[in-house]
Amino acid sequence: MITIKELPDENLFTAGHTACPGCGVAMSIRNAIRVLGKDTSVYVPASCAVVFGTTFPYGAWKVPFFHTAFENTGACLTGMQAAFEKKGKKVTSVGFAGDGGTYDIGLQSMSGAAERNDDVIYICLDNEAYMNTGIQRSGGTPFGAWTTTTPVGAKVQGNRRFKKNLGEIVAAHEIPYYATLSIGHPLDFIRKVEKAKNIKGFRFLHMFTPCIPGWKMDPAKTVEVTKRAVESGMWTLYEVENGEKKITFKPGKMKSVRDYLMMQGRFRHMSDEDIKKLQMWVCKKWNLHYKEKGAPEVCEIAPPEEHHAVTEEHREMHGP
Amino acid sequence: MFEVRFHGRGGQGAVMAAQTLAEAAVIEGNYAVAFPFFGAERRGAPVLAFTRIDSKKIYSKTQIYSPDCVVVLDDSLLDTIDVVAGLKPGGSVVINSRDKPEDIDLGISVKTAVVDATSVALEILKAPITNTAILGAFARATGIIKLESLEEAIKRRFGEKLGEKIAERNSLAARTAYGKTVIGTSKGIKKLEPKKQWLPTYQELPAGGSLIEGKTDAGLIGPGSFIENKVSGWATFRPLRDREKCTMCLLCWFYCPEGTIVRISDRGDLMTNYDYCKGCGVCANECPVDAIKMVRARV
Repeated sequence: MITIKELPDENLFTAGHTACPGCGVAMSIRNAIRVLGKDTSVYVPASCAVVFGTTFPYGAWKVPFFHTAFENTGACLTGMQAAFEKKGKKVTSVGFAGDGGTYDIGLQSMSGAAERNDDVIYICLDNEAYMNTGIQRSGGTPFGAWTTTTPVGAKVQGNRRFKKNLGEIVAAHEIPYYATLSIGHPLDFIRKVEKAKNIKGFRFLHMFTPCIPGWKMDPAKTVEVTKRAVESGMWTLYEVENGEKKITFKPGKMKSVRDYLMMQGRFRHMSDEDIKKLQMWVCKKWNLHYKEKGAPEVCEIAPPEEHHAVTEEHREMHGP
Repeated sequence: MFEVRFHGRGGQGAVMAAQTLAEAAVIEGNYAVAFPFFGAERRGAPVLAFTRIDSKKIYSKTQIYSPDCVVVLDDSLLDTIDVVAGLKPGGSVVINSRDKPEDIDLGISVKTAVVDATSVALEILKAPITNTAILGAFARATGIIKLESLEEAIKRRFGEKLGEKIAERNSLAARTAYGKTVIGTSKGIKKLEPKKQWLPTYQELPAGGSLIEGKTDAGLIGPGSFIENKVSGWATFRPLRDREKCTMCLLCWFYCPEGTIVRISDRGDLMTNYDYCKGCGVCANECPVDAIKMVRARV
């Protein structure tokens, strides 16, 4: 297991890139590539990472870098890896796609690569909306969040759908390794990237990366907000290795989701009723992940017992 | 017609300033348009916004190339951008700076109004968003709009989007800056050379746009060439590390999104390279022993 002290000094993602101050994506990229090392080849689809990391003819990457279209991260990785294998080179092919490029637009391509179990690492940088194009809702946007396509109005406030459970979708491909990561938990982060590097087959790393302008928050709080997300249950750190799910970080007592929400401008409009709804969703997730901990006190409403029964509540949450 | 060009950085509110100025002109019975320059804007990156004011209907839709007044929301832009490009004879410049107008070198000698809008904004708004403060200075320097109509426009614009309280504070920021504005004449010594660009011929252009590390007349290109892009101008604050308190836990080095904090393992030490610091403050916020303090950059 590597610790922070054992990481190499060299920066493979150089300074001078043009990300916003406090960018969670830049942090995640820098540290992921630190662990993956020099023998890595990177693919990035349309996203912030391609705009701030490479502006032709300049680039921040010190490893081979490739960029084409939005929807083909999985396919490109497959092609890159096939070429390296044919040439007899030992290179790790890594794709850094955003949540839009994974949850929505790149889903088919990612699914294809996972199905073929190609020997690549797919990294999803999840900042919970299409931030590069100016904050539009994606499949990864949580309930209640403001985006430009889920505005706050008199009748409807923010996103009405819940965050898509991408982890289950990816794990259902029966790939060798799926893990969720957060930059606020460095040891867990390093261990998972290192582990993924040494496994053969399709590996998926799901990184939680705060976006300062999109989440409307103080740039200094980037790391703090990821810690708060894990403590409240909005984000869970776990890994699925060959179908076996393991929680890798257990937070102490569950914190109210309100603490997490109020750090960010995108949630500040939320009504008590909406927060309760989101808290219920989080409680369900929490109970699922940390079974032995039992229902925490902050869960005012017990989660519905019959999972498939269509109640009034369900209809309101998920549509008819 | 009176044309204004705003030079700012993403997040300082240059676009909002342009819109508010247009609204103030409309309140006074004029016609006005305001629009930003569209590019890949990111927080801290240089941005442009424009306002046109006229007593007649305005049909011109182009960007403003020869403004009557240039408003600069951040004086660090003066080092890299020729803000006075195309300024009409007899035009004026409004700058957010701590210097006196006589100490500012714009390349031409021109009427210059100066206000320390960052300090005003930090004091009143508790954030380095300088747009309303600089508008106060604009009203004082040009006299194109009255302070009262500007305050009314701020109340309307900001009140609608951010609530009355914030509008009230922004209006106070404009009034304070109006009072603190110093008007003088700038120096005209330096020659700003436009940044050289790499312009290869079609024979020189690599197939498929693929680049290897290279050096051109315009500087480095290819992998790792962003290292020549100094971004210190983005920062309002910068970190100061107390070596006595530091326990070398390396968390700041790990978290720094810029790579500003450099580790030298041989010496077992950390260095901060301020050329790349954007002043986000993550290091200070996460330091477990409070060894890092954020202080004002460019004092």
